[in-house]
Amino acid sequence: MKQSKKFPYLFIAPAVILFIVFTAYPIIASLYLSFQTYEGGSYSFAGLSNYTRLLEDSIFWKALGNTFIIFILQVPIMLLMAMALASVLNSQLLKLKGFFRVSFFLPAVTSLVAYSLLFSIILQDNGILNTLLNAIGIENIPWLSDPFWAKISIVMAMMWRWTGYNMIIFLAALQNIPDHMYEAASIDGAGKIRQFFSITIPNLKPIILFAGILSTIGTLQLFDEPFNLTQGGPADSTMTLGLYIYENGFEYFDFSYGSAVAYVVVVLVAILSYFQFKVTGEKS
Amino acid sequence: MKRASIIFALLLFALAACSGNDGSSEQNESGDNNTLSVWAWNINVPVIEKAAEMFAEDHPGFELNIVETGTPDVYQKITTGLQANGEGLPDVMLVEDDRLQGYLNSFPEAFVNLSEKGFADDHMDKFPEYKTELLSKDGDMYGFPFDSGPAGVFYRVDLFEEAGIDANAIETWDDFIEAGKVLRDELDVALTGIDINNDDGVYRLMLNQQGTFYFDEEGNVDLTSEESVKAMNVIQQLSEEGLNENLVGWDAWIGGLANGTVATAPSGAWLSGSLTGQAPDMEGQWGVFPLPAMEEGGNRAANLGGSNYMISSNSEKVDLAYEFMEFFSTSDEVQLYAMENGLFPSLNTIYTEDVFSEEVAYFNDQPIWTMFADLIEDVPYANYTGDYSLARDEATKAQSRAADGNDPAEALEEAAKQLENRLNK
Repeated sequence: MKQSKKFPYLFIAPAVILFIVFTAYPIIASLYLSFQTYEGGSYSFAGLSNYTRLLEDSIFWKALGNTFIIFILQVPIMLLMAMALASVLNSQLLKLKGFFRVSFFLPAVTSLVAYSLLFSIILQDNGILNTLLNAIGIENIPWLSDPFWAKISIVMAMMWRWTGYNMIIFLAALQNIPDHMYEAASIDGAGKIRQFFSITIPNLKPIILFAGILSTIGTLQLFDEPFNLTQGGPADSTMTLGLYIYENGFEYFDFSYGSAVAYVVVVLVAILSYFQFKVTGEKS
Repeated sequence: MKRASIIFALLLFALAACSGNDGSSEQNESGDNNTLSVWAWNINVPVIEKAAEMFAEDHPGFELNIVETGTPDVYQKITTGLQANGEGLPDVMLVEDDRLQGYLNSFPEAFVNLSEKGFADDHMDKFPEYKTELLSKDGDMYGFPFDSGPAGVFYRVDLFEEAGIDANAIETWDDFIEAGKVLRDELDVALTGIDINNDDGVYRLMLNQQGTFYFDEEGNVDLTSEESVKAMNVIQQLSEEGLNENLVGWDAWIGGLANGTVATAPSGAWLSGSLTGQAPDMEGQWGVFPLPAMEEGGNRAANLGGSNYMISSNSEKVDLAYEFMEFFSTSDEVQLYAMENGLFPSLNTIYTEDVFSEEVAYFNDQPIWTMFADLIEDVPYANYTGDYSLARDEATKAQSRAADGNDPAEALEEAAKQLENRLNK
């Protein structure tokens, strides 16, 4: 009997140990680090000084602002697009479903470096996108060198990469909505649009919450696109919290301060997730 | 109770796993006493491999374990290793000029002091002064000088001819800008391809040639100096006159040079390797002239880039590493081989060799190496300090603002103020 009770723990041991070593330990160590300061080769306790420094750091506030602008632009549009795509791909009428599903999902598994490189070529001042725009009579847009357009470029790149990923999540959920609800609605005279808002969206609620939280966390940690496309420029207009954490650690050797910024992200993720639970009315 | 004790046991096990490595087993990756581990990248790899072969002739059994890691990834690895008190670092690592002072200042104990080993006394005068100063902290040397980046302006000989511009007549940055206007009007070709928002390399070249830098000799922020404002003015003119094509990132820049939308590139000598490698069919179309001066008759020598080898204090084979690197950095043969691979050596004992006076077919039969070798002696020292990365970040932002039409002096003042704030953390 005793023997059999231990078994479950043995089975989860590898996962738990890996979790402790590679997740729990770094989380605690970086919290500890955020209360220290590095001077001439050794760490010493610094109290809250890293956190008070944050308050006066204009780059930090700018990064925070940028992160929120990108978040507000990107997450709702992407989730709506993903839902719309999922509904279309779930339609009985569509042929070649497999092909479309794979095509839309592919960006999520593409090599990050390859995709950034392609985007940076497309978005150059004399790149493909501007050449196309010129062809239809639109002036060159400084995609990577103007504070406003650089943010738009980041948002576009993120949409390209993540819409398909969220679409697959929605698609799975859509297939769990029973057909008879739609049939009943059709008999009652509801059109496709009405059905989408009155049946599809309410039924997808828990999944929207799930995708929303994942995207929120992802956006707050945003690093890849600004790092590869704009390096935070021009003049910090695409600096994000994730990139700022990295720069503090690996460019300026200030790991303590970077850790403090990281903990701000943790708190923000917690607060935003809480509100998302509230808004979508989950009681957990 | 039972469950609690099992979880406790798991925790203990996990902690043991964390601290299990006491540093002796995995360090340096290679076990035996005659093998050194090295981190290097790209065209540096064949050079150090060749050097190891030569070194092994007198030291039977000597071997190198080279791990090829590209930039900037290698710096993430080095920084991580330095944070962990040298754990996991190789015996020897390659570090570029602009990173070196940052490492030395933040991790003063992490690198072997070469002056204590006698390197400075024996070999100091074989290298340009700007380089040995860069490798020193408090009067001691910590790095083996390797390649340099004496600067010149790479230009398209054919386009200049077509537009009727005489490259030899370009003596000042004003002349350079005038030439750019001709190129713009006659051929609709951009003069430069500076990545305004991410790369202040040309601005830095102009600081260096005027004998100033982000910081003055005492390490105070010096972004608002007269020289700095003049340099930023040039950048602003390039941008406002429509002479610069904003090419974002390295690949776009090399692309612009190779496909002919950009006619010149003020850059380090190492660009020759990238041009011949990436655009081999452009033989005869490129030439080089010395950097324009800020004022007529002013200094035309500056440096951009270059790299050095450093030994980790954590190495168990410091003596072997020193012996090998001393051979590597002072052997004429090795450095000539580096030259063949497109790296411009800092070792000045080889500048009289025949290869330097050779006419280079790719560069329109110009003896470009003589030109660079003549320039290198006059390169002023630049005080990078440990805060170079922060300063570059602010200087690049000032460049963005100046190119956007703001007054260069004001943009630099703003940058200096921001930088002071960030330094007084």
